[in-house]
Amino acid sequence: MVSVHALGAVLAPLLVRKLGRAAFLVLALAPAAAFVWALTQTARIVDGQPIEQVRQWIPAYGVSLAFRLDPLGLVLLFLASGIGALVLVYCARYFDSDEPGLGLFACSLTGFAGAMIGLVLADDLILLFVFWELTTILSFLLIGHYADRPTARRSALRAVSVTTFGGLALLAGVVILGQDARTYRLSAILAHPPHGTTVTSALVLILVGCFAKSAVFPFSQWLPGAMAAPTPVSAYLHAAAMVKAGVYLIARLTPAYGGDPTWQRLCLILGGATMLLGGVRALRERDLKRVLAFGTVSQLGFLTAILGAGTRDTAFAGLAMLLAHAVFKAPLFLGVGIIDHSTGTRDLRKLSGLARSMPALCVVMCLAALSMAAIPPMLGFAAKESVLDAFVIGAEHGTSSYPYMLAVFVAGSALTVAYTCRVVWGAFAPKPGVADTPVHAAAWLALGPAGLLALAGLVVGIGAPMLNDLLSGYADAVPGAHEVHLYVAGWGGFGLPLLLSAIAWVAGGAMFIVREPLLRFHKNHTLPEGEDVVNNLLLALERASLQITGSVQRGSLPVYVGSVFLTAVALGAWALVYGAPWHLPSPVPWWASRTQLAVAVLTCLAVICVPLLTNRLAAALVTGVSGFAVAILFLVDDAPDLAFTQLAAETVSLIVFVLVLRRLDPSFVRTQRTSRRAAHLLLAVSAGVVLSALTYVAEAARQAQAVASGYGELAHESGLENIVSAIIVDFRAWDTLGESSVIAICAAGVTSLVFARRAAGAFAVRSRPERAEAGWLAARPAVLQRSLPLEVVARLTYHTILLVSLYLLLHGEYGLGGGFVAGLLAGLGLVMRYLAGGRYELAAAAPIDAGVLLGLGMALASGTALLGYAWGDTVLAPAHFTVHLPVTGSLTVHSSLLFDFGVYVLVIGLVLDILRSFGSEIDRHIAADREAAAEPTEPAPEGT
Amino acid sequence: MSILAASSTTATFVAPHVEFGKLSPMLIAFGTATLGILVEAFAPRKQRYGIQVGLALVGIAASFAAVLALAGTTASVVAQGSVAVDGTTLFLQGTILVISFVAFLVIAERKTDQNQDAFAAQGASVPGSAAERETTRRGWQTTEVYPLLMFSVGGMLLFPAANDLLTMFVALEALSLPLYLVCGLARHRRLLSQEAALKYFLLGAFSSAFFLYGAAMLYGYAGSVNLAVIAQHVAHPTAGSTLLYTGVALLGMGLLFKVGAAPFHMWTPDVYQGAPTPVTGFMAAATKIAAFGALVRVLDVGLGVNSAENVWRPVMQAVAIITMIVGGVLALTQRDIKRMLAYSAILNAGYLLIGVTSTTAQARAAVLFYLPVYGVAIIGAFAVVTLVRDAGGEATDLSRWAGLGRRAPIPAALLAVFLLAFAGIPFTSIFIGKFAIFQAALAAGSPDLVIVAVLASALAAFFYLRVVVVMFFSDPLPQGPTIAHPSIAVKTALAVAAFATVALGVAPSLLLHLANNSAGILAK
Repeated sequence: MVSVHALGAVLAPLLVRKLGRAAFLVLALAPAAAFVWALTQTARIVDGQPIEQVRQWIPAYGVSLAFRLDPLGLVLLFLASGIGALVLVYCARYFDSDEPGLGLFACSLTGFAGAMIGLVLADDLILLFVFWELTTILSFLLIGHYADRPTARRSALRAVSVTTFGGLALLAGVVILGQDARTYRLSAILAHPPHGTTVTSALVLILVGCFAKSAVFPFSQWLPGAMAAPTPVSAYLHAAAMVKAGVYLIARLTPAYGGDPTWQRLCLILGGATMLLGGVRALRERDLKRVLAFGTVSQLGFLTAILGAGTRDTAFAGLAMLLAHAVFKAPLFLGVGIIDHSTGTRDLRKLSGLARSMPALCVVMCLAALSMAAIPPMLGFAAKESVLDAFVIGAEHGTSSYPYMLAVFVAGSALTVAYTCRVVWGAFAPKPGVADTPVHAAAWLALGPAGLLALAGLVVGIGAPMLNDLLSGYADAVPGAHEVHLYVAGWGGFGLPLLLSAIAWVAGGAMFIVREPLLRFHKNHTLPEGEDVVNNLLLALERASLQITGSVQRGSLPVYVGSVFLTAVALGAWALVYGAPWHLPSPVPWWASRTQLAVAVLTCLAVICVPLLTNRLAAALVTGVSGFAVAILFLVDDAPDLAFTQLAAETVSLIVFVLVLRRLDPSFVRTQRTSRRAAHLLLAVSAGVVLSALTYVAEAARQAQAVASGYGELAHESGLENIVSAIIVDFRAWDTLGESSVIAICAAGVTSLVFARRAAGAFAVRSRPERAEAGWLAARPAVLQRSLPLEVVARLTYHTILLVSLYLLLHGEYGLGGGFVAGLLAGLGLVMRYLAGGRYELAAAAPIDAGVLLGLGMALASGTALLGYAWGDTVLAPAHFTVHLPVTGSLTVHSSLLFDFGVYVLVIGLVLDILRSFGSEIDRHIAADREAAAEPTEPAPEGT
Repeated sequence: MSILAASSTTATFVAPHVEFGKLSPMLIAFGTATLGILVEAFAPRKQRYGIQVGLALVGIAASFAAVLALAGTTASVVAQGSVAVDGTTLFLQGTILVISFVAFLVIAERKTDQNQDAFAAQGASVPGSAAERETTRRGWQTTEVYPLLMFSVGGMLLFPAANDLLTMFVALEALSLPLYLVCGLARHRRLLSQEAALKYFLLGAFSSAFFLYGAAMLYGYAGSVNLAVIAQHVAHPTAGSTLLYTGVALLGMGLLFKVGAAPFHMWTPDVYQGAPTPVTGFMAAATKIAAFGALVRVLDVGLGVNSAENVWRPVMQAVAIITMIVGGVLALTQRDIKRMLAYSAILNAGYLLIGVTSTTAQARAAVLFYLPVYGVAIIGAFAVVTLVRDAGGEATDLSRWAGLGRRAPIPAALLAVFLLAFAGIPFTSIFIGKFAIFQAALAAGSPDLVIVAVLASALAAFFYLRVVVVMFFSDPLPQGPTIAHPSIAVKTALAVAAFATVALGVAPSLLLHLANNSAGILAK
């Protein structure tokens, strides 16, 4: 059946395109068929034989497409399908065929009817939720039909936000309930309801969902807002169908959970409050539709309170009231729609004299209004009598809260009477000083549905007892006294209920007459309303969101890094605290020698100095101090090799640092506030403390033997005396090879970044070195200030440095030295030449392309590795060659030396490359910029 | 001069046994990437685009075929214990490949922007410089993007499969480094793009460093980086746990950064906004899948012992809660659609973390289901964003999208489908995913997380639907953005994404079944 509606919904746009508004008549067949089917099944259902249909959907989670038709479902099915069909018929006259978006509207409305039918038939909680959300989304589309009106947009968004929130709460509740019950089948849960605190929380969540859907306080505000929708939608969604979903679910679960005190209290208190608040608001409104909307809110609160009360009698009365409400509220909405359509206004101050101009409509709406005001013999009266009856009986049985509820109901009913009068008076009465509103006649096809429903209210009201079996079929599942039933025309004889009704009529009538002073009083003493609460909450959230965004998420990298470090500190501290007592098998002494301590103190001082400096270059230099201090530490620990390498590497990197930094502003930007700087300081210090502590703990937790313990022998075995060299060129030769390639790639990257700044195609000429000119200290363009003595000294020492570096290279196998450090040293020689004489001097010192050196180095290193594969058994297999030289005799060369030579050449290439790009090329950029600055207004060379 | 060769002196070297068959998906991806570099070096400039795109797509397809061929084989740990090929791995690899394929279709798009792709003509040229104008005039294209992204795909395939921390680190870097680069290559708004890349790189480098530090600490604790060995040591501790906790904390920081969980989420909005939009989609989907795969493996295999779970679970749950709150609340005020989707990605990371912290097979299955459905939807959403254009590239400001539903009903409707899916509306795939995760979390006994998730979802629904309202219920701007007509490839990608989003919401059983079957098996 649901699929019939789905089909209808899919076809709707097509039909509308073909048939125009008459398509609604065709579409009405779908819910009408459902209604007829429901009628044919009535006897069987009343006999207590529910119809079930189950299909697998998501077996992994025990979710199935389970449908079940029982008395409660049947009542709701009548409403959803019957009113659905009538509303669709009504649509066929309400809209014009050429209205924009009508196809989508028809599709949504038909789909909605299907979803609603699915909702009341679903026997699986998840399936129910699915239909629940479908109605939300479809109602969103329906409310937003008049999309060009900003109010429609806002209300659609609000309606869907509130109900989606409720829907998600419902989902959580449903999943918790299902988990606890180990099934999602409603019938199974109702048969063996689980209990406990988790279930109670699930029930609260489910109630939140129901309240949001049924516009119960504090979620009531969306419903009047949603009146921006076309009137048929209001009649169907906001009177008969969608808002009933929440009430329906309460009714559905009451047999199992009606006895739960939380459930009862929430339903009674919030329902009662909603009834009163809605009623009062309804009196204040001037728009007919909004009066009805607040009236609906009030009635929904009423229904929630009755159905949630949780006894058999209240359940019975509640279902009767639910039926009555749908039957009288829908025609009222439809009637208002006709008025709106015929007169162009819904403002009850402007409408006048419609009783004369639209008599048929007047009769229909008065009938429905009588039912709403609970005047006999209408269905509304019968239902309300049964409600009052149920609560009176309950109070007699000693339920302490029922007398209060009765008072609330009477007050609420009085309000109902008052606003009913207001609707009827507002719509039809001739008003003094207002001219009769001009009308054009309404189509019978539009009036028909409203009339049919109003008539049904009368007929069913008179024949009310025929509903007894059906309603009992549902209500008997709820425990409790068995005394309430419906009477013919609602007439149960004189008694307390009738007296209460009478009080409500009189009080309501009085209120209608003296409404003005009452309203003034109310206006001055009004409570914050749901609308304000929701809006304020959203506003507060948005403000919080803005503030958070502004303070931490504003794109500032220091803030991001700071927060990462803050978390690191927090997590590190957590690990330290949580990991106590620390397991420290090999505690580390604080210092091994005085020198070590002195160096450490020096390092700390230097580090403290860094953030105090304002000059970038100075800061970079002082940072270098820690590097040099590490070199000293190596030296203290008898590792001259490492110390030497560290020293050379630190020097080169410092120079690179300086070369790069010179293009930046010499001093740091200091615009931060003191508070921010203090926060940074705190963060830095705590990060330092925590990380130091972690380092200590990690250091002292060593259990295994150091991996280096056997290295001395291993090195000797492979024929090398220097362990560091042995590691580099033998044990870890693969690593060295890999790192060498990284160096080569880095150099290439640096080059391309610096040189590709120029126009495309400049690659071809970029790396040709400056031509070295012949002659000592030849005259060159004075680009840089040259220091002649320095240049001379540099030239004199350059070749010595190269020689020393070669020595280091060859000596590496036996003592201090190695390819890497040798290369760095040679590089430093180049650095000296560059610093002394600028780019021309550099070109003179190394008249070779850096790329050639890099490539050569790489080729040598990897070539040696492959040779090892060719002659030995694996890649990088060690070997040695004996070379007989004619004069000096024979020299044994290890393959590792060749390998080391490759590294040597590679490192020289790297340094040269860096000098070329960061040094010479940036010099050239600076020179070019200076030239450009010197002649700023150069005319553009040509057009385009 | 004479040369005499000498024999080797050390012990024979035993080559490690490597199961190339089981590694084939990753090998194919890396191989394709390497081939791509050769193409870049040797193919003429004009033909590179076609060759690269074709090569990448074929590579992804071949890799996917390899995954299919491996499906059903017994779970095993291969390559000397460093890679685990099991149900979870294969499921995630298959997902990553499918998503990558769709993403590449969008990345390779040239029809939406005057026959140019989304990437700068030459990455190294300074924005606004003569060089940039020159390269653009010559119609250069950064076709290096394809091999770079293929490397990233390779890394992503390896990341969730890595069974030791070093392999995992290598995979992490392999997947991250190319992305840092590609993020900075947007054709329009290049400074924004470069800033994003720099931020991503710097923060990413920090997180990688933390990861490595954490791995070192765990090595110190267990004497091995192998997850199974670590698990043994956790189960039978031989030393104090300070190193373990430190290691877990630091390792977690590295992984949570990639996942985009708070408080390591800061980069997400900036990077998502700055990166070329097709790449953002790829990142948002595929990186998340890979990173969650790795997180699940570390937590379930390496630290899945009760004593360890009791330690990290509260922390991870706190992270999940903060992540959801941050994602939900901050998204409220976003005016830029890409930034909004970024916060939505953070929010979704929070949901996924709920599943991850539950550590049951059911929860793992839920995560496995959620990842592909979310990935497909987010790629689709970003693909729609690429279609709405202004003179200066994409019009990402939400105010520019007013009334889009009237002017371009199909793209707007597609985006609406994806947004409704993110909002968790029934009959979309993500609803089923959320449901699965909530259910698993409740079964594992953490209703508090579910309640936070529900509240965050409600907030999220508000801002997703606001976009829908702006698109469909607002009047079109008089000089609104133009809607590009995409090529058939992008149309296909969009259609696939939308179809999957709806179809997996209506009939999720097949994928759920697959996820359930895959989640049960974790090779140790």
